[in-house]
Amino acid sequence: MAVFQAALLNELEKLYKKKKVLVAILLSLAVIVIGQLVIVGVRSGFGLRGTGSVEFPMLVLSVVVNTILPLFTALVAIDSFSGEFTQNSMRITLTRPVSRFKIYTAKITSIVLFILGALLLLLVFSLLAGFIFNTNSATLDSLGRTVFSYFVSLLPLTVLALAIALLANIFKSGIAVFFVSILTFLALKVLGVLFSQYSSLFLTTQLDWYNLFLVNSFPILKILRQFLIMLGSGIMLFTAGFYIFDKKEF
Amino acid sequence: MEKVIEIMNLTKSYGNGRGIYDLNLDIYKGDIFGFLGPNGAGKTTAMKIMTGLIRPEQGDVRILGHSVTEEYEKAMAKVGCLIEIAESYHYLSAFDNLRQLARYYPGVDHKRIDEVLELTGMLKFKHEKSKKFSLGMKQRLGLAAAVLSRPQVVILDEPLNGLDVEGMIDIRKMIQHLAEKEQTTFFISSHLIHDVELTCNRIGVIYNGKILNVENTQTILKNYATLENYFVSEVERNGRVSSSAS
Repeated sequence: MAVFQAALLNELEKLYKKKKVLVAILLSLAVIVIGQLVIVGVRSGFGLRGTGSVEFPMLVLSVVVNTILPLFTALVAIDSFSGEFTQNSMRITLTRPVSRFKIYTAKITSIVLFILGALLLLLVFSLLAGFIFNTNSATLDSLGRTVFSYFVSLLPLTVLALAIALLANIFKSGIAVFFVSILTFLALKVLGVLFSQYSSLFLTTQLDWYNLFLVNSFPILKILRQFLIMLGSGIMLFTAGFYIFDKKEF
Repeated sequence: MEKVIEIMNLTKSYGNGRGIYDLNLDIYKGDIFGFLGPNGAGKTTAMKIMTGLIRPEQGDVRILGHSVTEEYEKAMAKVGCLIEIAESYHYLSAFDNLRQLARYYPGVDHKRIDEVLELTGMLKFKHEKSKKFSLGMKQRLGLAAAVLSRPQVVILDEPLNGLDVEGMIDIRKMIQHLAEKEQTTFFISSHLIHDVELTCNRIGVIYNGKILNVENTQTILKNYATLENYFVSEVERNGRVSSSAS
């Protein structure tokens, strides 16, 4: 366990020192500021209500979960694998007394922690912005649902990270991984619309699964089914990614 | 004598016909073993297998009694290595690069990091990011990383690459000091034959993926004027006809 902790700490230090965290904070703030400005503009310009204090964070989540969060995930995952493959710096860790399984798991864990950090940051800032600019309609129940929605969004984003990590282990070039990731993402979005009866199987639809928790009837079976689909695909993606990583020659 | 590295029936072939075939070699405690061979003979392949970067098709390597293919963490626990080019995270300082590695070894603290930086002449660049380093400085940092954990076994592939004369002498002294004082075993490949002659006490010659001979440096120098003559004669004896040194 101490070896895994060392590997994880190293991965987190590398993320932090590469200034990715700073870029993530700045981009997240930009999204919130722009979103809030649009809402204030709509309210004062057209006299429309816009959003309430707890609705604003949900609006932010619905936007970022399909845009900047998958993008952050892709960038960090590609950098963590393809970046180190091409610079040969993977050898630095590989020649230390740590197994490849622990290295792979530490890399994935650090990416997941990064996504969690980004989600928490967006939650805190959007809640703050919501309370400052839209002073109505805040109840404890709606606040709880908002916080919960942010946390459950971690699961589909983790599956996405595992999928990109797999691609990063298949393709040599980081740019190739990035393009394939984006094309696959778009293709799944389109397929989700064309074959809506099967859309719950697609990762792009699962990114919006937090909506299931907002429905008053609370569709427990549907939630369970989605959870199991994500868990299953996550396990398969992790296994496939690790298999290729373990066989790789450096 | 205690065997530190056991290379047993090691085989790994590449599509281009190169590779290593049925390699067998024993390295004993306190050896400074020089691994000599022309380009493409299989030196780096053997060393990459020894450090787990690639897997053999057949055979195994045991370091301090532990199999590299089956008990990697145990096998590498007391090993330091530098394979091909000394890699470092260019966005981290020399100190941060070593601190990353230090986390894998319980006994290595900040004082030890300073010690190895001093040993390799890198202390004055401690807080500089490695992207600004010259090839020689990167190599020194790589050597500092290799000896950081006070390893019992050090595997070095072309450790003198990019070093100036002063650097070469420093590193040679460091290797000899560690072998004498701390009984560290070294496994070194180099194309700088003169330096191998000055540094190593046992020499193995590899050619076309096969070990031709293993001999003590002293014995070699009794029979040949220089190590270069021995090397050329060994290689010629095994089928290669080209030399200007014999």
